[in-house]
Amino acid sequence: MPGLLLPSIPLFLLPSIHKFSKTGNNKRNAENDGDLPMRQWLKNRRIKEDIQHKEWEKSLIKSKDFKKIFYYNKKTNVRFGLTFMATLIDENIIQDGILPNLLEEEFREIEDIKQLVPVADVQICDDPSLIEQKLLNGYVMLTIETELKHFGFIAAQKEIVRGLSQPEVEFSVIGPKEAFVESMGQNLNLIRKRLPVKELIIEEFTLGSLSKTSVAMLYMEDITNEDNVNTVRQRLTNVKFDAITDSSYIVQLISDNSNSPFPQLLDTERPDRVAGILAEGKVAIVVDGSPHVLITPTTLVEFFSSFEDYFLNWILSSFFRLIRLFAVAFSILITPIYVATLSYHYELIPKDLLSTLITSRREIPLPPILEALFLELTIELLREAGARLPTKVGQTIGIVGGIVIGTASVEAGLTSNVLLIIVALAALASFTTPVYRMGNTIRLLRFPFLFFAELWGLLGIVFCFCLLLTHLIRLTSLGRPFLEPLYPPRVMDMKDALIRLPFEKQSKRPIFLRTKNPTRFSKKKAKEKKDIDE
Amino acid sequence: MKEQPVPERLQISPFLVFYLVMSMQIGIGVLGYQRIIAMDAGYDAWISILFAGGCIHVIVWMIYKIGETVGGDIVTAHKYILGNFFGKALCSIFIGYFILYSLTVVRTFVEVIQVWMFPELSTFWFSFGFMILCVYIIFGGFRTVVGTAFFGLVLPAYLLLTFGWAIKFSNFYNLLPIWDHSIKELLTASYHMSLTFIGFEIILFFYPFIKEPKKSQKWAHLAVLTTTLIYTILAIITFAYFAEDQLSKQIWASLTMWKIVEMPFVERFEYIGIANWNLIILPNVCISIWIASRLIKRVFNIRQKVGVFFVVGGVLSVIHFLDSRERINTLNDYVGKMGFTFTFIYIPLLFAAVMFVKKLKKGKKK
Repeated sequence: MPGLLLPSIPLFLLPSIHKFSKTGNNKRNAENDGDLPMRQWLKNRRIKEDIQHKEWEKSLIKSKDFKKIFYYNKKTNVRFGLTFMATLIDENIIQDGILPNLLEEEFREIEDIKQLVPVADVQICDDPSLIEQKLLNGYVMLTIETELKHFGFIAAQKEIVRGLSQPEVEFSVIGPKEAFVESMGQNLNLIRKRLPVKELIIEEFTLGSLSKTSVAMLYMEDITNEDNVNTVRQRLTNVKFDAITDSSYIVQLISDNSNSPFPQLLDTERPDRVAGILAEGKVAIVVDGSPHVLITPTTLVEFFSSFEDYFLNWILSSFFRLIRLFAVAFSILITPIYVATLSYHYELIPKDLLSTLITSRREIPLPPILEALFLELTIELLREAGARLPTKVGQTIGIVGGIVIGTASVEAGLTSNVLLIIVALAALASFTTPVYRMGNTIRLLRFPFLFFAELWGLLGIVFCFCLLLTHLIRLTSLGRPFLEPLYPPRVMDMKDALIRLPFEKQSKRPIFLRTKNPTRFSKKKAKEKKDIDE
Repeated sequence: MKEQPVPERLQISPFLVFYLVMSMQIGIGVLGYQRIIAMDAGYDAWISILFAGGCIHVIVWMIYKIGETVGGDIVTAHKYILGNFFGKALCSIFIGYFILYSLTVVRTFVEVIQVWMFPELSTFWFSFGFMILCVYIIFGGFRTVVGTAFFGLVLPAYLLLTFGWAIKFSNFYNLLPIWDHSIKELLTASYHMSLTFIGFEIILFFYPFIKEPKKSQKWAHLAVLTTTLIYTILAIITFAYFAEDQLSKQIWASLTMWKIVEMPFVERFEYIGIANWNLIILPNVCISIWIASRLIKRVFNIRQKVGVFFVVGGVLSVIHFLDSRERINTLNDYVGKMGFTFTFIYIPLLFAAVMFVKKLKKGKKK
């Protein structure tokens, strides 16, 4: 039989054959010999039908990787075709899992594939509108000449998965070392493994008119507030965008105020953090193709808490949180304060300290604001250049920039060395924020403060602080106040905000989430106190 | 016409009334009230502070009684007594009062800055920036205004400690002998003190925005009590720090006391203090503009956003002409008198009227 010829040819030759099968010339000649005229006519008609491309095929056929091949079953002589996108499917699955059985075993109708094909995801459907989408999702379509209305779909996706690696942005010395990867299946696995309960619900959406990105929303049934879940669901379904390539797109598309420099969704690459917040009653959003999972609703203080805080003793972690808070305040305010005091209020500084400052500034021709701007911009340039360059070159640039430019500019008399110390410390302090996105915001915030410091001195700094404060008070994450538990003040939620109290005190879930079940564990049992020597 | 109740998501928790009342009370007056009360009652004036504070509790109680009876704010109360048209007409006076109040606060603060920090500061441009900030806050809704009040009270609270430096140089024998002034002098001092205390009357305007108004009453009383204590302690420290003749020359006694503060890295603490005062002044101005614009909305049925711009425009167009110390002083006196009349004379009258009408209505029902 001529049809038998095909499977024996290695698959890498398929493109050429597939061309034949499309035009059908070769086959027709071959089949002509010894066939009854009636059968031949039928065959010809069939081939013609094959050539008449259907609507979905018209554009797909322009692509090189579109394959459509026909085979004959050995036993029943049924002619069947496999259609697929060669770049999306794993050829090994076709070669080992699909073809041997379909060719050798008794195969008469589409239904038989459920018995014959040893692949987990096998579907049969009769809706032609699904074809295009399924093909592009890595399914192999099986057609059979006797059943034109039915199609079988066999999953044969080629999974190119990066191996699990250590978290790079949110590295922690202690605690798990797994980080999310780009594949959603893998990421969901990492989360589900940590929360093996039926209450963990994973809802899936397909977003982006071009990218068709799968986006999953995760929450705990019976814990997470339904309003929050509904809001996320509604915002996700309302997303209008063509290509969503990363979770950062989702952050910007669904956040409450897109004109704010503050990120209103927390992103993390740690599966343990996601498991932790799901148990708290928050919602997580996993986007296919992104190693960052989004957490919502979130608060400002959460951006200053590293997940490592929970691995350490509460006294240590509270101390580190306070250090970070101080670092942020320092990083934003110190250069503006320098500019304000040296431009307007040098009376503010005690005599001894003033002499140090004056000596270092004695030969500087620039006013404090220009001096500060010059150094701040240098640091920003270094940071920006360091971020764009490969690691090794980046390090060199850091050294060159930090040491050479810094020292040289002091020696050249462009900047004072006190300011150099201040700016370097401020840059260092801004790196202490555990969430990278927040670090970026802090970088930006320094400049309006500098502007107001030059305008109205200390008063301007407070004025700018008021602006910032108002912005933060107005900001919401998923409709929940962003500044909580600072404002609106919730003493109960303070247990895990600026400081972290021990786990025995954390028997309640955060109030602002308005969870269905606010109790994490029975406080009574935890509180059972023992007497001495008991 | 039935009034729409304020939706719950816009309402505030009862305990936030504490911060609202306190931050409205503490404002520009704290910087220099000591001289004014000492003019009449000398160094017995701290008794007057306590007395004035006590009177205020009665007024707060009346305010809550009014709110409870009519189930709404001051406009509802006026409608309750006078009917729709006259009630609203009478309320429109308060729009003017609160515009003037915000104007006074901003102008006085600018004056403090001009005297102590930047003599060249442009009144108009600073007020302009300040007003933009206020508009930004008020557009965030009442909750944002309350948030400003909260932070405007909590964050600068550390300033209280800095007055501790003055204690080192104080002589508490200054206060003795106690009670060597007549009752009349003490009462006059109380009257002057009441001007610094004014601000608690705002409860009458945001009453419908409190989630469970009844629960908030204790917080309002607590706020008044705390302010009274702060004022008393500060006054006592001031009296101990300055000699009586010296104090009579200190317009801003609190600021002068900051001059003594000395830390290894900071001298002349008044610069920091005045800059911080920006945060304390902010809720004062914001709340009064919010109330004025809210009243405009309630009385004239104009959108509150338009009302805010109207108020801000009004303040900005006038502020430039208040350029001398005398004018600012006159304005302060004028607004103070208005405030006194409103809180200590009008509110009891309103209270009596409401109670009277309530009895009448009850009688009719029977």
